[in-house]
Amino acid sequence: MPILEIAAKYTTYAVMAVILVFALGVVTLRNLFHCALCLAAALIGTAVLYVVLQAEYLAAIQILLYVGAVVTLVIFAIMLTEHLAGKTVRQNNSQSLPAIAGLLGFVSLLTALILKTPWPVTPTALQAKVLVMGLGKALMGDYVFPFEVISIVLIAALIGTVVIAKKDQPEEKA
Amino acid sequence: MTLFGWGVLKGMGVTFKNFLTSYFRKPDEGGIFTVQYPEEREGTAENYRNFPFLVYDGAPEKIRCVACGICERECPPKCIHIEMELDAAGKPARKPAVFDIDYGLCMNCGMCEEVCPFDSIFMDHAFEVAAPERQIGLVRHKKELLKSNEYFREIRPALASAIDQKRKAVEEKKKAAAQPASSQSSGGTGSL
Amino acid sequence: MTITIPPTIRGIEFSADMLFVTAKAWILTLLGRFLPDWLIVLASITISGVVILCLGPLIMMYLTLLERKLIGRIQNRYGPNRVGKWGLLQPIADGIKMFTKEDIVPAKADKVVHLLAPIAIVVPALMIFLVVPFGERMTAVNLNIGLLYFIAVSSITILPIFMGSWASRNKYSLLGGMRTAAQMISYEIPMTLAVVPVIMMSQSLSTNTIVLTQEGSYDMNWFIFTPWGIVGFVIFFLCATAECNRPPFDLPEAESELVAGFHTEYSGMKFALFYMAEYMNAFTLCGIAVTLFLGGWQGPFFPSWLWFSGKTFVLICVMIWFRGTFPRFRVDHLMGFAWKFLLPLTLINILLTALWQFTSNLAAWLWSILILGVSLWTLVKLNRTFVPEKRHYLLES
Repeated sequence: MPILEIAAKYTTYAVMAVILVFALGVVTLRNLFHCALCLAAALIGTAVLYVVLQAEYLAAIQILLYVGAVVTLVIFAIMLTEHLAGKTVRQNNSQSLPAIAGLLGFVSLLTALILKTPWPVTPTALQAKVLVMGLGKALMGDYVFPFEVISIVLIAALIGTVVIAKKDQPEEKA
Repeated sequence: MTLFGWGVLKGMGVTFKNFLTSYFRKPDEGGIFTVQYPEEREGTAENYRNFPFLVYDGAPEKIRCVACGICERECPPKCIHIEMELDAAGKPARKPAVFDIDYGLCMNCGMCEEVCPFDSIFMDHAFEVAAPERQIGLVRHKKELLKSNEYFREIRPALASAIDQKRKAVEEKKKAAAQPASSQSSGGTGSL
Repeated sequence: MTITIPPTIRGIEFSADMLFVTAKAWILTLLGRFLPDWLIVLASITISGVVILCLGPLIMMYLTLLERKLIGRIQNRYGPNRVGKWGLLQPIADGIKMFTKEDIVPAKADKVVHLLAPIAIVVPALMIFLVVPFGERMTAVNLNIGLLYFIAVSSITILPIFMGSWASRNKYSLLGGMRTAAQMISYEIPMTLAVVPVIMMSQSLSTNTIVLTQEGSYDMNWFIFTPWGIVGFVIFFLCATAECNRPPFDLPEAESELVAGFHTEYSGMKFALFYMAEYMNAFTLCGIAVTLFLGGWQGPFFPSWLWFSGKTFVLICVMIWFRGTFPRFRVDHLMGFAWKFLLPLTLINILLTALWQFTSNLAAWLWSILILGVSLWTLVKLNRTFVPEKRHYLLES
């Protein structure tokens, strides 16, 4: 069905364009809340790209973690910060020139790496489909150690919150 | 300690019972209270008083009102307007030619009923008096205000029968006074 | 002219069970006579899409009526019964009213976001319909990550609520939005964890496969007939009630405190869209609960779609029953309930399921009940309300 494939191809390009627009919005818009919403839209767009690439699991996790958790956290932070949500803030400061220089360096490094890497695009690799079952087995089998290490980070974060949220001890009487 | 969550289940039991009983119980035993107004009505209490009306005996021409104007004068919000009917000779006919009550002004005090010496104006049970506009829509003319004594007896039987008896007694007294003394004396001797 | 049964349909046996599947196949074969293949694919998607797009609002409309009727009966009233027989046309009258109402936007509101919020909130609500198995072979998209998709999509619902609450520039809206976010994030965690035992037992994330594993004798091998199933179902259902902001978890729109919560500044059709999303969420969450624990469309004698809709209907009635019974939670109680009671219980439930997987017999029943009883007792003890000691102040003479 060539027509459908062509349509899917151009839809993918359109999605990419939309992601770019929203990504630009994240860094250029002057209202922080709008920026956060643009971030959410860009992340959802990325999830759509994953779906197009037949990585549904990754797409669902992307939405669950990034849109459902991270963006919500960001919005919470914006709302809890006094007098920030409504204001229009400038997104750039006097350090923009050095920042651009650094960015250019990073981008050139990345491009060099991408061009250098041999991409083994073979028909079998294209046909391979990662099932959820396989991912689960990999996480619980081969990669169980990194998986468990990451959980330590989570525990650390939880303990950290408890420490921060705990009431201070009453000062001893002189 | 009672079982955890028992109170929750008990509460749900209460509402479920209410739900079921609403289908087959009577209002006082846990059924539905709602009276679906236009189709169903609760009867009004006998002494419920709302908006005055004029009583006539038999036919609308035999109106009790003599257009004395006492109610017009006594009415606190001045919602009554009366004009005396004049006969061919230009003399007052002791009948109202115009009798208007503005229901929009009336405050249902019942003063007119109390002051009327001719037992002609009484408070009605009417409460469906909506009108599309307030200036003249709520003004009731003589034609609409006239209601038969039978209607009066129907809505307020106790008061109506008392009034009827009083009127009958007065009428008989009047009759007795108008008739020649012979009949009265004969009756009198009979009783004596 | 006679319509011959197309050959593709002959494979499917014509029964009440397959009524809708056959109908769709029939339409597609009919279209196949004069349309190219690629259009047929599109048509197949369109038919499912249109059915869902019509089903969502229709369900919402009649859920409002059902809710008003049932709540009325619980409170000894008739519900709406004026428009049409038994008030059956009431939702349509409401719809007309909503459409013709003036759309008021606050002067200082963020106009674009204010407009986008109600539109955006309907999208995830409709998207969840995709993975709900309405009957045998009646899942719109049989994703192999269906359950994960459901969790992911339902987690987006927070964003439009934030948008609406923030763009209204109203303190009640903002407070309602914050409460919603806090509540939904909190209840999402026990809800997700309550689903884990089901995934463990069925070894699949696909909603269709989960239903298929509950087949058994008389199609009655439902997960709720196991100790972990009951606990999981109760937790999931409570969290679902909290997720769609229904009483007793309706703090985000607590009328007595916040006017109407995050949709205070909405009127007309925008307001209706918020309501639509809420009711469609209630339906889909009940549908997912049925899929996960009550055997989905499995059941003896009746067609599969009837079983599914019947079970979902019962669950929705229970939600309405909750609304008719319970007063609203207090904010700290709400949070405490999710984090201190439901979350530990789900973790215990996961452990229990892991043990159950190896030994499922009568003895297993006994010790599961024992474990659950002990853990429940401990949790209740730990969660008991703290009543400060009453202080007496002596009057100085």
